[in-house]
Parts: sequence; structure tokens; C-alpha cells
Amino acid sequence: MSQPSEPSAAAPSPMPAPDPLREAFRERGYVAGDALATALRLVVALGKPLLLEGPAGVGKTEAAKTLAAALGTRLIRLQCYEGLDAQAALYEWNYARQLLHLRAAEAGGRPVTDDDLYGPEFLMRRPLLEAISQPTPPVLLIDEVDRADDAFEAFLLELLAEWQVTVPELGTISATARPHVILTSNRARELSDALRRRCLYLWVDYPSRTQELEIVRARLPGISEALAAQVTRAVHALRELPLGKPPGVAETLDWAAALVALHRDHLDEEALRVTLGAVLKLREDQTLARATLERLARG
Amino acid sequence: MTTGPDAPPLPADLPARVVAFAARLRAAHGFLIGPGEVTDALRALGAVDVLRLREVRDALRLVLTASPAQAPVFDAEFEAFFRPRTGPPPPELPPLLPQTEAPPPPQKVSGEAGEPRPVPGESRAEDSPEEGEDQPLQGRTPPRETEGEPDDPADPPRLLQARLSPHAGEGGRVEAGGDDLPELLRAAGALVRAVELGRARRRVPMLRGTRLDARRTLRASARTAGDPARLRWLGRPRRAPRFLIVLDGSRSMGRGATLLLRFAHALHLRARRVEVYAFSTALTRLTPTLRGAPPGEALRLPDLGDAWGGGTRIGESLLRLARDERARVTRDTVVLILSDGLDTGDPEVLARALRDLGHRAGLLAWLSPLAATPGYQPVQRAVQAALPHLDAFLPAASVGDLHALARSLRGRW
Repeated sequence: MSQPSEPSAAAPSPMPAPDPLREAFRERGYVAGDALATALRLVVALGKPLLLEGPAGVGKTEAAKTLAAALGTRLIRLQCYEGLDAQAALYEWNYARQLLHLRAAEAGGRPVTDDDLYGPEFLMRRPLLEAISQPTPPVLLIDEVDRADDAFEAFLLELLAEWQVTVPELGTISATARPHVILTSNRARELSDALRRRCLYLWVDYPSRTQELEIVRARLPGISEALAAQVTRAVHALRELPLGKPPGVAETLDWAAALVALHRDHLDEEALRVTLGAVLKLREDQTLARATLERLARG
Repeated sequence: MTTGPDAPPLPADLPARVVAFAARLRAAHGFLIGPGEVTDALRALGAVDVLRLREVRDALRLVLTASPAQAPVFDAEFEAFFRPRTGPPPPELPPLLPQTEAPPPPQKVSGEAGEPRPVPGESRAEDSPEEGEDQPLQGRTPPRETEGEPDDPADPPRLLQARLSPHAGEGGRVEAGGDDLPELLRAAGALVRAVELGRARRRVPMLRGTRLDARRTLRASARTAGDPARLRWLGRPRRAPRFLIVLDGSRSMGRGATLLLRFAHALHLRARRVEVYAFSTALTRLTPTLRGAPPGEALRLPDLGDAWGGGTRIGESLLRLARDERARVTRDTVVLILSDGLDTGDPEVLARALRDLGHRAGLLAWLSPLAATPGYQPVQRAVQAALPHLDAFLPAASVGDLHALARSLRGRW
């Protein structure tokens, strides 16, 4: 799925038709490729969830955050992990408060009914319930859905299809406004076909060099042109190596920011030595890449 | 399928073409596209500028594809379907096709740069549908030595001398038949049971558990007039192991490769999460093929090209695997490398890959058909380099060896 973004960068197309969403992204320092821009537009237009897959650090989570900012709406984030269950994602009763309420009522001689105990004031909304109870559609980010287990994925299917959940004590709660849903996955686990079918699907790849340079410029406006170009070139050379953990865009930005913070305006061997940890996070990778980086630093 | 690019002229209007296009993807390439997806595709067209072909393509790809492997197929089909045949020549067709068809000289390690996704077996199958499933499968490319061999258990030693070739051979389709499925299933079942991982973090209702399930106990007490007569429990279930099997499909493996392939299939039927890769000079993911294979019948694999029947590049293939599977290899993963260790590559690369896998996996075992030979010494360079990083190095030349696996591996994690 890398193709969609490549041509746009390799051969800069004539000015695309003005796309307000894309422009809003750009204003917030997020340079979205053609395919991603179209995907986000369709999320809003079709009301379908979008599944973003791709290597770590290419800006999947950031896309959701930026979408929320661009639409001027809330971002509600559910971080998935192994063992996450529907309870933790949906709602919980505030047992402590219920108990206090019960004690207070008994002390005051007031009878307590179910309705008193299971009222909304005792309901603690977790991200999913929170997302479907908003008056205006929020952006719901279900992050790293591949980390959750199959059972949770199956539960998500129902929610994404029906936009309603059932709380035994309250009954069925339907969405007041359908959230814009973005799911991200690093492919730690193969997701089910059923989940894939409910979503729009986009593979997000590392950006092309031109695109990445543009991202660096957008995110670090103060950076010198030469340094930005050098860093981008170096990162692309690194991604060619058989690294255990190839640097993502996030690492590029970290690296550039580190160099800026150290008042470096170009990448020399000394700068490389002190900032290498910002871009390569494995010792083996650092050893492997040293020769390539030194060559780049020398020019 | 009648609506291919050379089929009778399509209706000119876009919706009808999209419907036909979706049907083509479904019928010719097995995309999971139902009426819902078609409706969504048509709705998506309403949201983009239909005069811009790229936007139409992006929108349709978002709706109609569901995995990275489908993207190249989609793009090629889209070009054939929607690119106007008259007027300017299609500028984007050439860059798309080489990515799917021409294997880069060393191996398909293009992942490092532009395309870091694994190249699953299905993508290859989908790329060349016309030479794929439709033809009878016995027509393998001629010099497939692996199968004309007699079922002689004393085969491996001869292979050692005769078949080592660093050069890629012809791939050809693979058919791994055999009536040993019941035994293999028993061996696989025993192996799955032998894996003793800890308990999961998530608590589930269990007959006996460690924590009272208050909610279910209360609900059940409604039947007994509010008396909690039967207590319900929550407990942590055993963690299910995940198997990552890497199968050496190089020529030197001979018959051993198909036996181990069938074993991988048996394991796939016995355990919930099994990932299977094959390598020779390139690495290919076999899981989708195995998933679709009917149990009890001879396994039929599509043409695996460089991943089967050629030379061996153990180190590079495993390094590639270690990278592709990095996030998925956890303490719950049992990595089984099935190879004879005859390799001409750099042992250092192999050691690096195994170190990486070994650090992350729960168990890293190497099964070698050669190790079953009486008097075998692990002198191959690759095996020498691998040994320090392995939890076990075991023979695997016969069904009996595979049966013994569970016993040998028990208690090693």
C-alpha cells in the first residue's frame, strides 16, 4: 500500500484540488499523503471505521490525534493491551460510591431502590461508552488493536456494527452521535477478516524522502534546511539496512529535534555520536549502522 | 469470471464498472467483497472527485482491500480496468507491476526500504492467478528432486553429499501428500500439550478458580431465592502457545521438507496460533495456504518460487523473519526451525538472527533431518553458529522423531 503515497512525492503532482481536511492537517504539522487524506475524508463522509496498519512510528496514532484537532472535536483513546476486556473498555460501577450512598440512605432512614444505586452518577464511563455518549461525534482512537486478544476483537465487532452497548442494569445505550473511529495495528497479531471487513483499510508506509523532509520542516519550523535534508537522507539510508528496529518518522523528528536543541546546523561525526540514541534504539543496530552513518556524516 | 479486462465491453457508467470490478476481485483473487463492500465503494465514490483517477483508486482500495498483500493485486487490476485504453499511455502501470512480479536479484528483502511488509504466500499466488490454482497440480517444473525419491529413511546422508547447491533452483508447485496425518496430528497434539506456559492475565469464568465471580454468583443466586448456593469462580486460563515454524524448503532437504511441511500443517490443525514460513533463497509466508488446505488431503502449495526447492540462505531468511515477526515473537512463542543446516551463507548473519529470535521467544528449537543419522555430528557451519543460541537441537527425519519431540522439549521453557 505504499504506492499511493509514493507517486505524489516522487513526481510532485500539480496542486491537488483544495482539500480542507488536508490543509487543516498541514496547518497542524501533519503532512498527509494522498491515500491517507482520502481515507480520512471517507471516515468522515461514510462513517466507517478506518484500520491503519503499518510499521511503528509512521504516524498512525498521530493521524487520529490530528483528525480530532482538525475537526475541532474530542479525541477519545482506547489503548489496547493483552487481557483488555469489555468491562475495562466500556464501563464500571463505582462500587465505593454506591456503598457510601447506601450507608447514607440507611442512616437517614430512606429506602434505596435499584434506580438509586444504578444511576448515571455511579456509572464510570470507560473510553468506548464515553465515545458513544458524546453529543458531537468525537474521534475514537482504538490504538494497537492487535495487542488485544481475539475475544475483545469479537466484542468490538458488535460495537462497530451496531453502535450500541448493553449495560445490564441500564439497558441498551445507543450512540448519540457516531464517533469517527480509527483503529491502528502494528501487526503484532493477524486481525480477523470480520474486523477488516468492517473497516476501511490503509497500509501506511514510511514516507518518501521528499515527504519526510516536508514533515520535518512542518514540525520543526526553525530547523536549517541543510540539517533537515541531511537528517532525512540519513534516516532513509538507515532504513535500507537490515536493522532490528528501523527508525520511524517519530525517530526522524526526535533526532532532528535533538540536533536543533544541541545547536547543530549540520550532521558531523561528533553530532552523530551524541545523538545516535535518538534514532537507533538497539545497540546492535547502532553497531551495524555506524559505518553508513559515518559515511553520511563525512558528506 | 467473465468480466476481465478483455471481456466484453463494460457499461460506460462508473457504478456499473465498480460493481463489475468488485466482482472481478472477488472471483479471480478471492477478495472478501460482499454487497456491503460494493455499496460502500459506491458511497465512497460519492465522497471523492471521480474525475481524478487517483482519488477513485485510493477510495476503492480503502474499501475493497483488507490486507497489504492485496494492494498490489488491486492496483494491477485497477490499472487494467479503469485506465482508459485510448489517449495518453498509462504512466503508472510499469512501476506497479515490477513490485509484484519481478523478484529482486538477491531475494525479496525489499522490506527494508520501501515495502516493509512480509510477502505472504498468498500474494504470490494472487499475482499469477493464471498459472495458479486452475491448473492440475501435478505439472511441476522438471527437476524437483524432492519428490521422486523413494521413501527411504536412510536418505538424508546421501543428500548431504549430493544436493548441496548454493544456487536457486526452480520452484514449482509443491504437493505434499501422505497418509500419515493421524500420526502427525498425534505428535502435534503432544507437542502442544507439552508446552507449559504460565497463566494468562485475563480472568475468565472457570469451574474452579482463584477468585470469586461475584457478579455471576449473585445472578445465579436469583434461582435459589437469593441464597448463593453455588459459588462461581474466576481464574486465569493457561496461556495458549503460539508456534512460529520456519521450514527449509531448499533442495538439500529432499523428502524431509514435505514431511515437515505436513507436520506444520498438523500443528496448524492442533494449535490455534501457528505461523508458518518457508525459505530457500527467499522467505515466504505459508500460513494462508495452510489455513485454506483441507485436512486429510494432500497439501498443495502454489508455486513458491525462490522459497522452495532452491539453494539455501538460512541466515538472511531468518534475519528477515526476525524482523518481520519481531513484534509477534513473545515469551509465548515457540520457534521451530526445520532445516538441515546446509548453508553457504555467512554464519554471523545466522547467529545474529537467532540471537534476536532467541531473546524474544519462549523456546527456540532447531529440528534437523540430518541429526537422525547415526553418528551425526553437528559440524555444518550454520549449525555450529546456531547451537549457542538454541534451546534444543533435535532430529526430525521421521514421524517417530516428531513423536519424540514433545518428550524432548517438555520442561524446557
